[in-house]
Amino acid sequence: MKRDLMEILCCPVCKGDLELEVDVEEEEILEGKLICNSCNEVYEIKEGIPNLLPPDLR
Amino acid sequence: MLGGVKSVMPADRGLRLEFLRDKRRAQRFYKQLSKLYDTWLRDLFWTEEMRDFGVEMAELSPGMRVLDVGCGTGFLTQGILRQTEDVYGLDITIHQIEKALKKVRIPIVRGDAEQLPFKGETFDAVLSSGSIEYWPSPVTALREMWRVLNPGGTALVGGPTRPKDGVYRLLADNMMFFYDQGEAREMFSEAGFLDVEVAYTGPVWKRDLAIVTRGSKPG
Repeated sequence: MKRDLMEILCCPVCKGDLELEVDVEEEEILEGKLICNSCNEVYEIKEGIPNLLPPDLR
Repeated sequence: MLGGVKSVMPADRGLRLEFLRDKRRAQRFYKQLSKLYDTWLRDLFWTEEMRDFGVEMAELSPGMRVLDVGCGTGFLTQGILRQTEDVYGLDITIHQIEKALKKVRIPIVRGDAEQLPFKGETFDAVLSSGSIEYWPSPVTALREMWRVLNPGGTALVGGPTRPKDGVYRLLADNMMFFYDQGEAREMFSEAGFLDVEVAYTGPVWKRDLAIVTRGSKPG
């Protein structure tokens, strides 16, 4: 995913703002995490695709 | 499995379906389906003509930011991209997303239609086709569409109509949720949409195969 996607993403559960943690970045972010500032849920970015499924659906 | 679900009232949670109400099961189902889908299913049930009918009804224009909910392998997405470049996709199944990303170069996130991972007032239009029939709670998903739409924005949802007879009807009744024109209006109104319009489209062999509903978020 590209960094500017952060502008429109939020936590699917509580709709809080997400914080980006990058593990691997080339032209785009390939591996990393999105962490909710409000409910602390962690969402993974794998192979460039953010998985924003609520925890019970993963 | 071939038993029960019938009359579909668009009340929340009242219409949970036997087969796909477990979303994990839905994901597995779609993993298999995505293998078949682009080869023959899509051409049979959801033609380019039908897709373009839906896209036209949404009245998109260049510069609009659009979300495709349940983008699957990207068939509707490609139709939307002819109108505007600023398109985003969401799907519950990783295999469908991977296929879509081979066709369209847009951001696609994995997520659930009933709990969208997008901030409020983000999109000018939200479109969806061939997805609502598997949503356990359509009104919840429509409310989420409403939330992420800008004031004055448009939601457009296309789904199948209930097969009239045969084995397909029996199967479909147990896997999918169907709604008629009145129920479509009810669901959209319940989710907060105004100026709700309903139309039917289909391939040559069945001109009312799909029901397309459009609504506006008050401006």
